[in-house]
Amino acid sequence: MAHDWQPDFEQLVDEHQSMVFSLAARMTGDRGLAEEIAQDVFLELDRHLGKIESPEHARFWLRRVAMNRTADALRRRRVRGVDLWVEMNDGHGVAAEQKESPLGARLEAMLATLPAPHRAALILRYQEDMMPEEIAATLGAPVATVKSHLQRGLKLLRAKAENQLREFVRTSKSVEGA
Amino acid sequence: MDDFERELRQALERRPAPPSLKRKLMERRNRLTAERRQGRMVWWQRLAASVVLCGAVGGAFAWHNAEERRKGEAARQQVFTALRIANRALSRMNAQLNERAQDGQ
Repeated sequence: MAHDWQPDFEQLVDEHQSMVFSLAARMTGDRGLAEEIAQDVFLELDRHLGKIESPEHARFWLRRVAMNRTADALRRRRVRGVDLWVEMNDGHGVAAEQKESPLGARLEAMLATLPAPHRAALILRYQEDMMPEEIAATLGAPVATVKSHLQRGLKLLRAKAENQLREFVRTSKSVEGA
Repeated sequence: MDDFERELRQALERRPAPPSLKRKLMERRNRLTAERRQGRMVWWQRLAASVVLCGAVGGAFAWHNAEERRKGEAARQQVFTALRIANRALSRMNAQLNERAQDGQ
């Protein structure tokens, strides 16, 4: 099918590098690995550039390939027995100016402790502002499964947040009392 | 969407990609392109070498065939010549025998 839109590789990199990098970084928790994944994703895009039909198609394609690549990386790391999130919790490679507000950073750290499918669904929902149907198409999963992951992930995250907040209040009181 | 989800959305804003990402990516891309181009060139070189080799083998085979045919033809001509000589000798002998037979009578 003929289409007017001509993809420009460099322009696509400029437009989507932060999206691809953020997805990979939040899924793997390792900035170095996320950068490698992002490079691999864009090189794959370069090889398939002729098949990309529109800017929307490019965005969808990049999200799907980025999520697949991060899932592969997580699987490989799990096989090797490496806990990626240790690095992120230590703030590995994150510049001070890039760190978010304390609450945001806590939420992100808590998100990191969720199972990968829940994390993937939540990241696509709240980072990319996608609907469950779009998330399902991106992850190649049934919509019902995605909805369940979203609900369960949010529930887990809320529970963790409440616990952390209680812990925070208790610690503050004990510090004040002393 | 409640406050918690709003806070989560804010926490999950896209992070800027490292400034080195694009540079490294373009370097890898250029390297891959160069490797692919070199690979294609090697492939063409191999193809050209194969064509030359096939031509040489085919030419040698054709030359060998022509040479064999030429030798066969030369041998045939020699046989004909030998037969002609033998024929002439026999005719001569036959004529002499006839002469002697007539002299005897």
